[in-house]
Amino acid sequence: MRFFLIKIVALLLFSFAALHANAEAANGSTHKEENYKPKPLAEMVSGFLASTGINALINPDPNEKSAHGEDMSDFHKSWGRVIMILITFLLFYLAIKKGFEPLLLLPIAFGGLLANIPVAGIAGETGFLGVIYSMGLSNEMFPIIIFMGVGAMTDFGPLLSNPKTALLGGAAQFGIFGTLVGAVALSQMGFVDFTLQQASAISIIGGADGPTSIFIATKLAPELLGAIAVASYSYMALVPIIQPPIMKALTTDAERKIRMTTLRHVSRLEKLIFPILVLVLAILVLPEATPLIGAFMFGNFLKESGVVERLNDTLQNALINIVTIFLGLGVGSKLASDQFLVPDTMFIMVLGVVAFSVGTAAGIIMAKIMNLFPGHKINPLIGSAGVSAVPMAARVSNKVGMEYDRSNMLLMHAMGPNVAGVIGSAVAAGVLISLFQ
Amino acid sequence: METNLILEGFKFMALGMGTVFLFLITLIVLMNLMSTVLHKFFPEPSAANLESQTPNQKDNKKIIAAISAAISHHRQG
Repeated sequence: MRFFLIKIVALLLFSFAALHANAEAANGSTHKEENYKPKPLAEMVSGFLASTGINALINPDPNEKSAHGEDMSDFHKSWGRVIMILITFLLFYLAIKKGFEPLLLLPIAFGGLLANIPVAGIAGETGFLGVIYSMGLSNEMFPIIIFMGVGAMTDFGPLLSNPKTALLGGAAQFGIFGTLVGAVALSQMGFVDFTLQQASAISIIGGADGPTSIFIATKLAPELLGAIAVASYSYMALVPIIQPPIMKALTTDAERKIRMTTLRHVSRLEKLIFPILVLVLAILVLPEATPLIGAFMFGNFLKESGVVERLNDTLQNALINIVTIFLGLGVGSKLASDQFLVPDTMFIMVLGVVAFSVGTAAGIIMAKIMNLFPGHKINPLIGSAGVSAVPMAARVSNKVGMEYDRSNMLLMHAMGPNVAGVIGSAVAAGVLISLFQ
Repeated sequence: METNLILEGFKFMALGMGTVFLFLITLIVLMNLMSTVLHKFFPEPSAANLESQTPNQKDNKKIIAAISAAISHHRQG
């Protein structure tokens, strides 16, 4: 207690000395303020009212520029912002009440809310969302780090014990390229004006892999990032609604009841060598895909090595959580009204769901084709898990399978195509990037 | 340029799907190869695992002895 009192007295003495020095510096002249002139109260009040958000929304400032320093229309400055803020409220509802990928949708939606605040310019170059964006999104850092964490969470065991299911993960990438053709066809017919880069960035939504979509979008079409990320994550959340009707439409009752042989045990050594194997293959075939695959396999290698439990734990939890917050906010900064409330967004949303559905269908059809060949039969329901969306798509396969046969557990079988889908979409992403080099 | 945009899309599709399948088929071949090789040269020591259960008890006793020795040493010191 006594020390505390002494400290306070010392502090007081210091501040008095400082004040005294200040007064001497002013040297007796009247107090001066550089940026402030005395004003009558009425003017102060009206000046304050002019600086409020209400005023900025009703009478948009004609000199205000967008986050990219471009001119914005009055609509995007006023009602557009109100609409966007209401859209972010809808996203809050979907994330909290409906449980749509809340881990990402909430930060994205809140970032969107902040990005649409007038005057403050939070998403601008010096605003904190803008800083986050340039810190880790425009240089593709955050998706890569997320990929490391996803790698540390992934178990390749089911794929290793039944390697041929990887083909299902490949077929599902048809969603990406089918949509690419669809998007360029739309621009050809004059509905929208997507360049090949933009069409590629949109079609990667069919890969059902958030980080990959963001990676490609920032590389090929950063102006569409907000819409692509929102479409990508909301459709991933909608996997349990989008996929089952397609799965049921394309399979017969007998096919849905196919039982698959139990998975063999996979040795630790196999799991340890696998990430290196994939990476070496990627280096030889497609170096453009190595940033994604390399990060993914790094995380997986740390996990399977079994000797760096601390690093593995950090990748799976702390690091991925921190980066998810920044990634979400950074993507949210692209939900500014001038970038999101454009006709392109609607087409992106439509093309996204088409990409997802085509991918799902392609995976199932591939499984049916594989069943024409001799060998162990594959339940076509696991084909839909070939669109990445780990582990949601695999759970959907399992759930639909159980609807027809209570004792038919497909979850582990579906994890094979599921993780192969992640590799497949990373390869597809690499191909798209290499085409624009 | 304008007219062949869809054709470009199909070219992308052919190349992309080709690469994805080439990659995954190679991967499947390599996975099968790896499992054959590993099973041949590094068979899983599943039987040895079961045997190693018994000496665990001895180990535990050793550990307990070491801990109690350390505690008594600490108390004296």
